[in-house]
Amino acid sequence: MSQTITIDPVTRLEGHGKITIQLNGQGEVEDAHFHVTQVRGFERFSQGRPFYEMPSLMARICGICPVSHLIASAKACEAIMSVRIPHTAAQLRRILNLAQMVQSHALSFFYLASPDLLLGMESDPAARNVFGVVAAKPELGRAGVALRRFGQHIIELLANKRIHPGWVVPGGVTEPLAAAKRDEILAMLPEAYANIGLALAAYKQIASTFKPEIEVFANFPSLYMSLINEDESIEFTDGALRMIDAQGNILDDGITAGKFSESIGEAVENYSYTKFAYYKPLGYPQGSYRVGPLARLNIVKSMGTPKAEDELAEFKQLAQGPVESSFYYHHARLVEILYGIEKIEQILSDPLILDKHVRAIAGVNRLEGAGQAEAPRGTLMHNYKVDENGLITWANLVIATGQNNNAMNNGVLQAARHYVKDGKFTEGVLNRVEAVIRAFDPCLSCSSHAFGQMPLVLSLLSPDGEVLDQVIR
Amino acid sequence: MALTMPRCLILACGNTLRSDDGIGPWLAEWAEDRFRSEAGLRVLARQQWTPELAEEIAHSESVLFIDCSAESAPGLVAIIEIQPSAPTPGLATHHLGAPELLTLARELYDSLPRNALLLTVGAGSIELGEEFSEPVLDAIPRACSLLEHTILQSLRGQD
Repeated sequence: MSQTITIDPVTRLEGHGKITIQLNGQGEVEDAHFHVTQVRGFERFSQGRPFYEMPSLMARICGICPVSHLIASAKACEAIMSVRIPHTAAQLRRILNLAQMVQSHALSFFYLASPDLLLGMESDPAARNVFGVVAAKPELGRAGVALRRFGQHIIELLANKRIHPGWVVPGGVTEPLAAAKRDEILAMLPEAYANIGLALAAYKQIASTFKPEIEVFANFPSLYMSLINEDESIEFTDGALRMIDAQGNILDDGITAGKFSESIGEAVENYSYTKFAYYKPLGYPQGSYRVGPLARLNIVKSMGTPKAEDELAEFKQLAQGPVESSFYYHHARLVEILYGIEKIEQILSDPLILDKHVRAIAGVNRLEGAGQAEAPRGTLMHNYKVDENGLITWANLVIATGQNNNAMNNGVLQAARHYVKDGKFTEGVLNRVEAVIRAFDPCLSCSSHAFGQMPLVLSLLSPDGEVLDQVIR
Repeated sequence: MALTMPRCLILACGNTLRSDDGIGPWLAEWAEDRFRSEAGLRVLARQQWTPELAEEIAHSESVLFIDCSAESAPGLVAIIEIQPSAPTPGLATHHLGAPELLTLARELYDSLPRNALLLTVGAGSIELGEEFSEPVLDAIPRACSLLEHTILQSLRGQD
């Protein structure tokens, strides 16, 4: 008799989702899926709104990465306006995006992933949380909290609000950076360097103990995509997209936001509200690819900052070609935090960062525009069409989680097949299946907050839906 | 990051787009306006209480949490003393309760405010909307009065 194991909701994620594992009559894993069970509708209800409202509307999609939506949206609007924003505005946005990346990666690593990494996949689930981390490694707990504060405080200093700031607007930013704020950010850097150094050292010490997980955590060949600069260094805000194959060869390059939809398609599966992005020339699902920290570090040749450059060289030693195990998203995240701190310092060292000219003004000059940026979790693309009055008639957003969707599903299947034997599973086994998803740090939705507690319910169902067994934690 | 220690830290929680859930931020704004010239007061309103607030708490002489309560009778204004407590399973990622935040402050920074209070207003509705329910509207004068009294005591070190 076949059975279905359901993990609903999956915990320590941005948003709500569930995992089902389908067993056959012999108790072997036949299939597994990661379901995104939320419906948002931003593309639909933005229709009819003036295009210049879009950045602040779209920022509401997410409470963790509103800055990425702000930037991708503003760039789409600037394509409609046909303007090039002032250099200083572009650099200020870059700092904002990096600050968001730092705080988001810190949340992912220290709050969501480190309970598994520091306490163990089989550790007591009641203690497998940030409190357990604090009890076991208080210095790492403090480092995580401080890095989150570092990123959030920069966002607050620049944009006046740490969540859903409105400072990024079509044409640039609303106000220049004051010297006092610049100096305040610079004063925070030594502590940030110390904290990420601590985290990297701790990660490297424990990663070797997770070899079994590294082997089966979405560890397979795939395509990878991310923004990259012309000099092949990492880029989060500008540049163009590059797609590489499983061997690291360049499949496509210089994909601008305006050409995104020529290269990337979106498929739909009946078990999830999130779409499945794929590289059109290879079709679906063969053209599925990964985005985010792992993809970025697999694609770039350089970080462009000295300390992160050394870390990239070490990261590249993990494999001959692209690093395939998604467990290494954690490693890549820490390298990117270091890069973010260094790059912020670099940008703030330029006196031009205090320039007062930070906004270009224009109206509707084109009826369609697209913008792209790297969100913490991967590439983000906004594409809008407007009428002659600048009212939105159509919008499409391609988010990072959709681009990792197929890899996450294949990863869940790979881990489930490895760990679930003869229809038997333990809490630690199921935690590992969840941890595959956590490695990607998907952002399903942060704008609708739960009121109360989200339990984890695991059910064994017979083919007719009868609950055969249930575990609640 | 070096923080200046406030005599009284107000930490409000709530979503202003969810009717009565917005009473915490509303009261925080009221307090900030009422005590605008008071250097010893620090006011923070958040949609959720997150772990990084532990540092703010650890470096405050006293802390007053403000939140709406889904368990209390609609419009009921209450204030209770809060002690650190073990985390509730399922929490500890995106948002925490006041007792858990105190625990984090103690564990991470080995420091606690000398006094920690939680002021709650019973919610009548947490549906989508920017207006308070009648019971909460009626409760606002009582809540403001209690808030003012509590802050004054904290600022004078009489809490």
